[in-house]
Amino acid sequence: MASMCEATTKVLPGAAVIELSGEVDGSAAGVLTDAYQRAVTSAAAKSPDGLDGPGTVVLDFAAVDYINSTGIALIVSVLARARAERRKVVACGLSPHYREIFDITRLSDFIELFPDLDGAVSQLTGPAA
Amino acid sequence: MTQPARTEAGKPRRLDAFSLPSEPGNERLALARVAGTVKDLGLSEARLEKLKTAVAEATMNAIEHGNGNHAEIPVEVEVSQDGDEIIVAISDQGGDAKASDGKASDPEASDAEEGDARADSPEEPDLLKKLEGVQSPRGWGLFLIRNMVDAMDITTNGQRHTIWLTMRTGGAAHGEHV
Repeated sequence: MASMCEATTKVLPGAAVIELSGEVDGSAAGVLTDAYQRAVTSAAAKSPDGLDGPGTVVLDFAAVDYINSTGIALIVSVLARARAERRKVVACGLSPHYREIFDITRLSDFIELFPDLDGAVSQLTGPAA
Repeated sequence: MTQPARTEAGKPRRLDAFSLPSEPGNERLALARVAGTVKDLGLSEARLEKLKTAVAEATMNAIEHGNGNHAEIPVEVEVSQDGDEIIVAISDQGGDAKASDGKASDPEASDAEEGDARADSPEEPDLLKKLEGVQSPRGWGLFLIRNMVDAMDITTNGQRHTIWLTMRTGGAAHGEHV
């Protein structure tokens, strides 16, 4: 089944942002994995030492209209990988329904949630940003 | 269709019934059609979203685990109303007798899902265990369903395996603040 998920990445100081759109389900595995790798690699290339990459990965769900249980599993896998690499994961743009699912699954215990990307970025880069 | 005892005493009014080929992604069709059927029955937006998620997950389970992604075996969906309860019944052919038939048994699919989301799945999903690699990242389906609806029942009649989702039009599901 072709994936209905798209991902774009961008690098900010100290963080890599993965902007997702469409449907986060099992078919999004390749899209999400590739986006994570791209985001981390791009951030590493722009870091002063060129080694570690971003301390934080931001998952932006603002343009996502559907997440199912296999999508949750993909997010768990991304979180596990990020933790193994000592990166923090935050998320933004979730609808109230999916925020609740992040609470029920306890993903929100490990992924700080922000209403939108601006809120996440200002928190990550500090009040002077 | 055999219904659980809880609803036999009442006279549920059937609102819709349809079937879908067991193909990945068709859970979205079930979700959309059920949402359209119940949209004017008084569910809040938040509770409608919960029902949609439960319907999608139950249909996905029926497609993958019940019917083994065999398109020719339909998933049957029935929507009814019994007083203030909306009941969605989702049936597949993956019940007790599936081994004798063989069509709905797909060892490869079963292995791939690692016990995902059938009623007899023994292990409750534990995020910490998943992050530590002790549990598969998957296995959220039934957990999500249980937390989305007011009641979930499962019946098996021979090969026919049915999950019953009940949502009260005036109630609040688990953990919901209204």
